[in-house]
Formats: sequence, structure tokens, C-alpha cells
Amino acid sequence: MRPMLKLDQLSATVGEDDEAKAIINGLSLYVPAGEVHAIMGPNGAGKSTLSYVLTGRDGYEVTGGSATLEGDDLLDMDPEDRAAKGLFLSFQYPVEIPGVPVMTFVRTAMNAQRKARGEEEISAPDFIKKSRELGKQLNLTPDMLKRPLNVGFSGGEKKRLEIFQMMMLEPHFAILDETDSGLDIDALRTVADGVNALRDPERGMLVITHYQRLLDHIKPDKVHVLAGGKIIKTGGPELALRLEKEGYDGVLGEAA
Amino acid sequence: MVLSVTDLKDKFRNPGPAELELIARYAMLPESGQRERAFEAFAETGLPHRRMEAWKWTDFKAAVKAVEAPEQGAQSAPLPAAGQAVIEFTAGGVTLPDTLPDGIQLHERTDAQALSDAEEVPLGAMTAALAGRVGGLDTLIIEVTGEASAPLHIVTRGDRDETNFARVSIIVRPGASLDLVESHVGGAGFSSFLLELSMQEGGAVRRTVLQRGSADEAQAITAVVNLGDKSEYVQTALAFGAKVARLETRLTHQESGSHATLNGAYLCAKGFHADYTSHVRHGAPSSVTRQVTKGAVLDGGTGVFQGKFHVPRTIGQHTDADMQHQALLLEDGAEIFAKPELEIYADDVECAHGNTSGALDPNQLFYMRQRGIPEAQARALLTEAFVSEALEEANDGVRDALLDAARSFLAETVA
Ligand SMILES: Nc1ncnc2c1ncn2[C@@H]1O[C@H](COP(=O)(O)OP(=O)(O)OP(=O)(O)O)[C@@H](O)[C@H]1O
Ligand SMILES: [Mg+2]
Repeated sequence: MRPMLKLDQLSATVGEDDEAKAIINGLSLYVPAGEVHAIMGPNGAGKSTLSYVLTGRDGYEVTGGSATLEGDDLLDMDPEDRAAKGLFLSFQYPVEIPGVPVMTFVRTAMNAQRKARGEEEISAPDFIKKSRELGKQLNLTPDMLKRPLNVGFSGGEKKRLEIFQMMMLEPHFAILDETDSGLDIDALRTVADGVNALRDPERGMLVITHYQRLLDHIKPDKVHVLAGGKIIKTGGPELALRLEKEGYDGVLGEAA
Repeated sequence: MVLSVTDLKDKFRNPGPAELELIARYAMLPESGQRERAFEAFAETGLPHRRMEAWKWTDFKAAVKAVEAPEQGAQSAPLPAAGQAVIEFTAGGVTLPDTLPDGIQLHERTDAQALSDAEEVPLGAMTAALAGRVGGLDTLIIEVTGEASAPLHIVTRGDRDETNFARVSIIVRPGASLDLVESHVGGAGFSSFLLELSMQEGGAVRRTVLQRGSADEAQAITAVVNLGDKSEYVQTALAFGAKVARLETRLTHQESGSHATLNGAYLCAKGFHADYTSHVRHGAPSSVTRQVTKGAVLDGGTGVFQGKFHVPRTIGQHTDADMQHQALLLEDGAEIFAKPELEIYADDVECAHGNTSGALDPNQLFYMRQRGIPEAQARALLTEAFVSEALEEANDGVRDALLDAARSFLAETVA
């Protein structure tokens, strides 16, 4: 199996120098190409922190270990270079960008990535066609796509917009941080269909979720439990079912 | 020479070399009572300086040490003028359009007109005293009698000149309307433009202004605007500043039910100073003012916003006025000075104001970078989106040019 994401003994802190707090503590994880892995774990376990460390957010400092994507060291790249390399994060809390319409934003992002990879810009008709099709698939109307990104969008709409961007950008590796939270039942299915459409032997995904429900729609190859800044248990889809039944206390008690 | 320079000099306290030069020029102009009154008003203060409350952040006396030509002529092009009637003021004189749009008449006056409120606008007074030349016109009076069939575009542009002073007076007759575009692109060591706009019942004016000078020039653009019964005035200005630049609007709601929109944006790079000052007097009941000013300043640049709403006790009743100023400090070393003032004596009014300045939001920047947009581009895009809100009401024909100017400025300067 071709390696996609490989984390080896990764450790990271959050916060300013003197108040830096260790959140990720020797975390190892391996997601091969073509697989979808789920990460579950209690609130405050470090799931979002992991996604920010991998995408290169300011204020998160790696203190040990390594992280590679398709063999390339992620950790010394700028966030935009990681994105151009194909790393995508669907944010737990998508950010409002006033004054920049969704379409303008996505096109700017797409062309910036293409430029960084030495590819041609997407043509206007191709872009419009693609965004119309995907918008329709995700129940995002053309009017919504003209509005400033995430501004005034409902919680569920914002999550659908994250998936819209993911499908437009076609990343090699996507991290979905609680994309299911805030989605109604139909939207959950719509989003899952979008994610499944991107499943590909050349692509990998990490799905962070609290609920088994999403995993009914997006069947993971593996489920990991993250607690205290590391992966403490790994299993198949049945692990998510067990967690739902027994809770973290049950499963963690056994692991400890 | 009719007037004695020595006598004139005595009217000023401590005239500097620049003021002495301006006095000498005034002495060469034909005598006129109106001009003299404007000159007296200017002499009260001389070039405005930091010890005057309204000029504490914008010191023309310090910036204009001498009347000198800049290194280069105007560095930027005026706004696009397709389909417009263009009036261009240069140091050599004024060029008038061959044909005028329907609804517009020009009156060239060789005698200066009185300037109301001259004491309140020292650089306006200076311009009224000095605009014009021997045997040339002193004031261009534009009368709008109907719906002007095309926009009027006033350009002030120097070609390495010492000064470029121009004065235009516009009268909008009842029910008449005008789209006014102005491009003040510098090119003179000291440029000053004075606009007097008087709108009668039901008149409508959309004024769109570009100011862009060089870092060795001083520029003043002063407008004195009076709104008649139910008239509507929409102003949009984009300023890039100069060594020192001031866009000042003194607006009076003279009769009831008038509506004013005063929007503007300033973008200042290193060595540039832009001052956006407005004074709005609600001198009649039930008038509305909406003001949005946005600014973005880089290291070594200076932005100034001074806005005042004055609502007198009885005549200001039912005023509805809102003033917003928001500015971005794009880098360490950027400076922004803001003074929003509400002076309200009437009790049944709705007046609000907001004033913020800060850096770009790091969450927004990270989100954009995560999508692959390089940091500098993300900063420029966020800044453009931020200031463009203040440019939405600009004239259709030039709005895109304003946005393009802002965009390319940001693309070149924001790192
Ligand atoms: N800037 C910061 N300064 C200090 N502590 C922080 C900072 N950011 C995050 N933390 C802490 O790090 C821990 C992990 O947070 P993180 O957001 O990664 O949790 P999570 O696993 O995503 O939780 P949830 O399931 O609630 O989303 C939390 O205890 C949080 O309070
Ligand atoms: Mg989280």
C-alpha cells in the first residue's frame, strides 16, 4: 500500500512560549492511500489541535516526531504549500470571510493551488460548470454561492460549503473535523454522499467525529481513539459501535 | 502691482517661505472684494498646522515648506472618462469639453464669487483667493438645469508644476441631477481644489472622487455642499494620499428631508498621508446622513479620519445619522488617527457611530491559506473586500476602475 499520511511520535504544544501547553503527545498514525480512517475521542482530547498542527496553523509548535504526506515532510511547509500539495481541512468552525463571495474565494484558492503546482488556471466556463454541478449536488443554490463566504450561513450550510470546497479542490488528503455536527438528517446523507464520491485509491481521509451515525454513511477502514494527545486504541468499524455503547470510560478503562 | 506685498504679509502670523510665495502670487492677481475676503480668511490661519485642532494630525505648514515642483508629473491616470464631459485643470489653465451634456451649462466668471464658510475651510479660502489668473477665469460655474445626459468629469493634473489651484461652483436646479466624477492625480507640488455645490429642491448628485498624489506633493480637495429640500447627495471617495493630502467635505442639510451618503476609503503606503475629514450639519429637520469610511495603512503610512455630525437643538429634530469608520493597520509602523464626533443638541434624533481599527483577523488568514491562497494574496484580498464596501455607491462607469486601483495597489504593496 502506498503511504498517504504518516505521523510518527508527533508531539506539539499550543500557546505562547512561556505558556505553551503540550496537547499532542507522541502520536503515531498511518493512513494508506485509498483508505478512510475515523478519529474519535473525548472533548479536549486534541483532535482539532492535531488537524491544525498538520495544516500548519500559527501558534502550534511541533516539539517532536514527524509528519509526512505522500513521503514529503509536511512540517516545514507553509499552510498554503501544504494545501497546494493536496492537504485539505474541513474546519470544525468554518470562518466567515466578509466581502468575498464563495465563487470568488474558491476560484482564487483553486488557481493559487494550480499556480503553486505549475498548472494552468481553470477556465471560467469549466469553473462555472463544475461549481454548478457540485452546488446542486450539495443543495447549495447559485444565489448562495454568490454570497460572501460563510457570512450569515447556517451551521449546516457552512458544513456543506466546506464539503463543496473540498469537492471543488479535489485534495489528495482530507481531514474532516466534525463535519457532521450541525447537519440535519438529510444534509448528513448529502455530505456523506459527497465524501464517498471522493473516495479513491489515490486519496486518503481522516474523519473526526463524535458519532457513529456519520460512520454508517462513510464506512471507515479503521477507527482510532485519540485521548490525551495520542492514539490509544485502533480497531475496525466495530470499535465505533462499541464506543457508542460503552462510552469512552468503558473502552479507555480497558486500554489503560 | 496694485497690492503691497508688505501690507499683505502683515496679515499673517509668521509666514513661512511657502506662504510668502502665495502672498506674492495673490498680489499679482486683479483686485476683487470677494477674492480679498477669501484671502483675509486664509490669512487668519495661514497654511493650516498642527496647533489648530482640526489640523492636529495633518500639518500643511510643515509639509509645504516651499512652493516647489515635484520630481515628476502626475504618476497616475485619471479615472476612465468614456462617455463623459471632461473639464481638466492644469497649471496652465482649464480645458473645457467641446460639447456639453444636455442639462448642463457652463458660466466662466472672471470675477471671483463669495465663498460661504470660508473661515472654516482655510485651504478652500486659499484656493478661492488664488485660483484664477490674470485675464483668465476665476471660477467655473456649472449650472445643472435638468437630468444631465452624461457624467461630468473634473480632472486636476499637473506636469511637474509648482501649484495647481482650481475652483468650481455647481448649482443644481430643482429636480435636476448630475453624476460628477473627479480625478485629482497630483503632479504639482501643491494642488488644491475647491468645490462648492449647492443643491436645490429635489436635486440629486452622485460625486465620485479619486485622489492620488506622489510622496513629494501636497493635495487638498475641499467641498462645501449645501442640500436643499429633499435633495440627495451621494459621495464616494478613494484616497491614496500624498506627502500630505486632505479630502474635506463640509455639508449642510439646509432644508428638510435631504439625504446624504458620504463614503470613502483611504489606502496609504509608506510615505503617504491621507486625511478624510467631514463636517455635517443637520440644519433642517428630518434629514438623513449615512457615512462609511474604511482605511488600510501600511508601515510608514498615515491615515486620518475626522468626522463630525452637528445637530442643533430645534432645527435638527428627527435627524437620522450614522457614522462608521473602520481601519486596518496592515503592518507594524502603520498609523491611524481617528476622531468621530457627534455633537447633538436635539432630543428626538437617531444618531449612531462606530470606530474601530485593528489588524487583519488571523483566523481568516489561516482559513484562506489552508485553502491554498498565499499569505500576501490573502491579506490583499481581505483588505480589498474590507475597503470595497465603502466604494459600492460609486458611479457605475468608474466603480470598477476604483476597485482595480485599490486591488493593484494592494497587490503591489501588501506582503
Ligand atoms: N490556544 C490554546 N491555548 C491553550 N489551550 C488550548 C489552546 N487551544 C486548544 N487548547 C486546549 O487543547 C485541548 C485540545 O483541544 P482541541 O480543540 O484539540 O480538542 P478536541 O479534541 O478537538 O475537542 P472537541 O471534541 O471538543 O472538538 C483542550 O483542552 C483545549 O482547551
Ligand atoms: Mg475539535
